[in-house]
Amino acid sequence: MRARLSTLPGRIGTAVAVILLVAWSLGPIYWSLVTSLTPPLHLLGTPSLWPQQISFEHYAKLFGATSMSQGNTVQSVWPQFSAALTNSLITSGLATVVTVAIAAFGAYAFVRLEFPGRDLLFVAVVATLAIPAYTVMIPLYRLMISLKLIDTYTGITLIYVSAFLPLALWLMRSVYQAMPISLEEAAWLDGAGRVYTLVYIVLPLSAPGLIASAILTFLNAWGQFMVPLVFSPTLATKPLTVLIPEFVTRNYIDFGLMNAAGILAIIPPVLLVLFLNRYLVSGLMAGATK
Amino acid sequence: MATVDIYRLVKRYGAEEVIHGIDLAIRDGEFISLIGASGCGKSTLLRMIAGLEDISGGTISIDGREVNDVAPKNRDIAMVFQNYALYPHLSVADNMGFSLKLRDVPKPEISRAVKEAADLLGLTPYLDRMPKALSGGQRQRVAMGRAIVRKPRVFLFDEPLSNLDAKLRVQMRAEIKALQRRLGTTSIYVTHDQIEAMTMSDRIVILNGGRVEQVGAPLDLYDRPANLFVATFIGSPAMNLIDATTRRDGEQLFAETDEGVRMPLENHAVAEGTAVTIGVRPEHLALADVATPGALRIAIDLIEPTGHESHVFGRLGRHPLIVTHSGRVAETTSAGVIVAPGGVHVFDRSSGRRIDAPAASEGSEKR
Repeated sequence: MRARLSTLPGRIGTAVAVILLVAWSLGPIYWSLVTSLTPPLHLLGTPSLWPQQISFEHYAKLFGATSMSQGNTVQSVWPQFSAALTNSLITSGLATVVTVAIAAFGAYAFVRLEFPGRDLLFVAVVATLAIPAYTVMIPLYRLMISLKLIDTYTGITLIYVSAFLPLALWLMRSVYQAMPISLEEAAWLDGAGRVYTLVYIVLPLSAPGLIASAILTFLNAWGQFMVPLVFSPTLATKPLTVLIPEFVTRNYIDFGLMNAAGILAIIPPVLLVLFLNRYLVSGLMAGATK
Repeated sequence: MATVDIYRLVKRYGAEEVIHGIDLAIRDGEFISLIGASGCGKSTLLRMIAGLEDISGGTISIDGREVNDVAPKNRDIAMVFQNYALYPHLSVADNMGFSLKLRDVPKPEISRAVKEAADLLGLTPYLDRMPKALSGGQRQRVAMGRAIVRKPRVFLFDEPLSNLDAKLRVQMRAEIKALQRRLGTTSIYVTHDQIEAMTMSDRIVILNGGRVEQVGAPLDLYDRPANLFVATFIGSPAMNLIDATTRRDGEQLFAETDEGVRMPLENHAVAEGTAVTIGVRPEHLALADVATPGALRIAIDLIEPTGHESHVFGRLGRHPLIVTHSGRVAETTSAGVIVAPGGVHVFDRSSGRRIDAPAASEGSEKR
């Protein structure tokens, strides 16, 4: 591998692949950033790779009390935007905390406790990943109506947890399976109970798995569109993903505003990943065993 | 400090029985080794005593109290694992003090106990380190420290030295033995290394296929193996075995091979014409001139010098024979060998059991 990388064609090939990958990933974000900084009139002209003239007009529209739109003074969208941002943070955060907590304990039971039908139950839970969300949407909607959970944080969180838990459970199960059981046995002999052992010995050593589950769940929840579109009809729980497309009105598509909001919507998950990434280290188990 | 009594202990995994009714009485303060080949059930037995494996039948009692249904944490035993099983996110001091912290021992007392154990094991300079910053031998010591710090009634060791290099193993072997003498805690030690078992134990339990083959003091097992399994398991190189039939010539009892080679027996309690297996340890054979009276003639295939002794691989008729000669041996193709007095072990070939010479059976080990 190393030998192949060191040849010139090999290095060029690698470089091209990396550039393509970066362009593919970052291109849309860059385009969105450029659009959000371009004055509205320029947006109607020939697109260019970088803004001819930088304008914070769209951001002002998001943050200001009032702003100008097509020559008229209009109300700022800040109240809606901030409410949706809060909703996104709350629903994604709740879903992440609940999912990771259940996965941390549930996966442990699937690995270390022996009960009849254990493996069958696990397969059944993971198999729900294969069910397309659309097929359960109507029954789920009726269920949520009868539970009076439409447009509530509880309802949205429950749906997210049921959707993202299987993956987190699966991930945590393989983390626990890779952990030598002698560590837990040593703790039991030292006088620790099952829960104490799980919380003080197993979980700290499973941090990378927990962090990975948390990141996956948060990003999944943050990017959800269809579920909140159906279950969050008002700004009581409506997240950014549903609010931003509503900037399209009958007469005018406010590309600048949508992209400015989109750029802002990227920031929380980026911050979260940057923060959690520090704990996503390998080698936590070093020194436990020979 | 405690006695451990094991009565008709059985372990089954599903339909398969792996431990078939073991009886064993371990005395207070004793150092006892469980030894046997892989899969003989020695680790399973240890884990059943620890409470990490369920008991399918029989009982285990510690200090007279049956512990079959007592959780591991309430058995007051400590275990040193083969892979050490240190908590990698805790410092050496926290690893060692973990069990005391769980028992709500006040902090000053924990640090005093940890300090005491660390002094004993030479770990004092490393108390603030994390396990990953320790060498293999130091980790091994921390695992021991974690066990001794809480003064349990019984120590369990599960092949604790098998991950160390040879030199360190010899050193740790002596340290563990000295430590156990000093603390006087009943210890059960699982190993597959007969040298460890021989050098450290008060008594050795030899297991084979989930059954006890023999229990006894190390030298008793060496001197008077109860059966062919023990005879070949203890001692290195392994005991030479030769199939023969007993014959009487006047007063003298002989074992005669089918090739007519005769070895005189002492007054072994065996009828004439019995099919037996004769066992002679390589170190109880001496090279001698072929003309020496009583010398057996062997053909020599290979001589392995080890420095302080030589292993001579030869044949007595069809039977392969190893002779351990102290010192060096010149290359040769044949030689005579003389059996040391009392060096002949006789086993019934059909049952594999030892047949004693009456004079030697005095003072035999009961358990």
